[in-house]
Amino acid sequence: MSTNARDMPRREGAFEREPARRVFAAELRECRYQFKDGEDEKSPTFALLPSGQRSNRIYLVGTLTEKTRQGEQNMFYRGRVVDPTGTFFVMAGSYQPEAMQQLAKIEPPQFVAVIGKPNLYQKPDGSWLVSVRVESITVVDKDTRDLWVLDAAKHTLDRVDAFAKEPTPDILKTKEQYPTIDPSLFRKIAYDALAQIKM
Amino acid sequence: MDYSEAANRISRKFAQGGQTPDVTKIEGKLKRLVDEFGVQPSEAERSVISELAKEYNLPAAGPGGSAAGKGGGTEEKKIAEGVPGEWVTIEGKIVALSAPASASIAQSGIIADDSGAIRFVVWAKSNAPAMAEGSWYRIESAVVDEYKGVANLKIHSGTTIKEIAEDRSLIPTPSPIKDLRPGIGGVRAKFIQEWEANHERMLQSGLLGDETGTIKFVIWKEPGKERLVPGAVYNIFYAQVDEFNGRLSLNLNAATILQEEGEIAVSGGETSFTGAIVHIAPGSGIIKRCPVEGCNRALSRQNYCPVHEIQPKFVYDLRIKGWLDDGEKTHNILIQRDVVEALTGISLEKAQEIAENNPLGMDEVFLQMRDAVLGRYITCHGREIDGRLLVNKCEKVAFSTGDHTALLNRAGGAPS
Repeated sequence: MSTNARDMPRREGAFEREPARRVFAAELRECRYQFKDGEDEKSPTFALLPSGQRSNRIYLVGTLTEKTRQGEQNMFYRGRVVDPTGTFFVMAGSYQPEAMQQLAKIEPPQFVAVIGKPNLYQKPDGSWLVSVRVESITVVDKDTRDLWVLDAAKHTLDRVDAFAKEPTPDILKTKEQYPTIDPSLFRKIAYDALAQIKM
Repeated sequence: MDYSEAANRISRKFAQGGQTPDVTKIEGKLKRLVDEFGVQPSEAERSVISELAKEYNLPAAGPGGSAAGKGGGTEEKKIAEGVPGEWVTIEGKIVALSAPASASIAQSGIIADDSGAIRFVVWAKSNAPAMAEGSWYRIESAVVDEYKGVANLKIHSGTTIKEIAEDRSLIPTPSPIKDLRPGIGGVRAKFIQEWEANHERMLQSGLLGDETGTIKFVIWKEPGKERLVPGAVYNIFYAQVDEFNGRLSLNLNAATILQEEGEIAVSGGETSFTGAIVHIAPGSGIIKRCPVEGCNRALSRQNYCPVHEIQPKFVYDLRIKGWLDDGEKTHNILIQRDVVEALTGISLEKAQEIAENNPLGMDEVFLQMRDAVLGRYITCHGREIDGRLLVNKCEKVAFSTGDHTALLNRAGGAPS
């Protein structure tokens, strides 16, 4: 085994930032599978959404309903952000100082926009927790929340439609990893979320 | 050491001839030659090229070499017909002379006929007579080869040069920007954007545009060189078209540049994206710029300009650098001052007041602007250059009941 610099994998072409996927809480909480794309220590980690798309980063807007400070030496904040379909668990620790300061300043309840990375944990009792490690969190207005619901619904429907067509490698992986989930479930979730927006 | 650039250059060269060599393989060969066998990179490149040429049954490129052995290779040609690796005889007019880059070069410049133009180099060792700009010459037994991907006419000791009595005026036809190829080219274009000169030897750089696209240009400092006027339309002949990392740019130092009165409706590049702002990068907010004429670089916190050192009389400016994300792709955006003012509601005067009276100083402006725009949906209009959208207009996205209804219908089904 050689550890020469020239053995390091190199990224081809210009840097492409991973897009932030739009996903409802009800779908995100069903994630059970995450994987690394590549062997490198710095290769991105993806959570596989049950509608058939990988996601390294998500963007969500909802209501911050509570936040708690935890830990002494390694202080971090946890928060709950609610969308029309369920709850996102968000956290920001000392490795995300900017996000932690932002979250520390916000007094719930508030509409917030969160950009962050999904992470899967299995608790000792075997149940799963999907949390979002916050990169940034800002207070926004209700218009932004409503726009996000439209946006998340559109992308959810796009994924569900794509799932029924040509299978991509990610879709094949989804069928393998989530054999019991029928993605058309997320069509109904999107409908219910849209229906909650008052005219 | 990185070999991908060289490997891509080699592969592009063969791709022009319709071959499709394996870039990874080329890279591997280069790496092996240089790292394992200590071969000079230029020599490694040459040997990979000749190996591939053999593989594809092509005549080897390069000075002298096998082309000379083919005999009779010195037939008279039009300049545009010269192919790297060939010996040629041409008749043409010296349309530009440039300062030789090295002591081993006696003269360099551009020679043209009615078919096109090519750069030439006269080796000092060739003892060739000096040629004059504007005169016509017959050049016998010169070699066409390739330097940095651009065809080049080499005049060596075996070349004969005769001045000929010709007085034709050459009127080159400009080509659309999208059709430019590495070599010598001409365009009729508008100077649409001036960029910060990022090198002290650089006189000016920016963007030229015509109906078909845009291209970067550069003028290096040299006696007698003049800056172009932003917004003006130019006829540019005999500019050197360079290629770097697959992108073309124009070097105007040897070019003939004529300003004209016309107008060009520059198209291409103007685009717009809608999405959420998912990141505001450091260096956004209020910044200080170097006050030296034509510099305009952003200064460090200590008012330090990379070229002009400490500048206590800096000029304030506003900008936002960030990422706009539509859920499928993330676009790098750079928002200019007036758009920042409209988007954040913070004017330059107000930002300056905040920066000067707040304990956090300029950081406070960054934080206020971040809190005003991060996570919001906006549409940005502007020009995309080198993967970055330079935003000259933007608006917040408004909720549309039409979209809402359409999505409800698409999600389908009766309410449950």
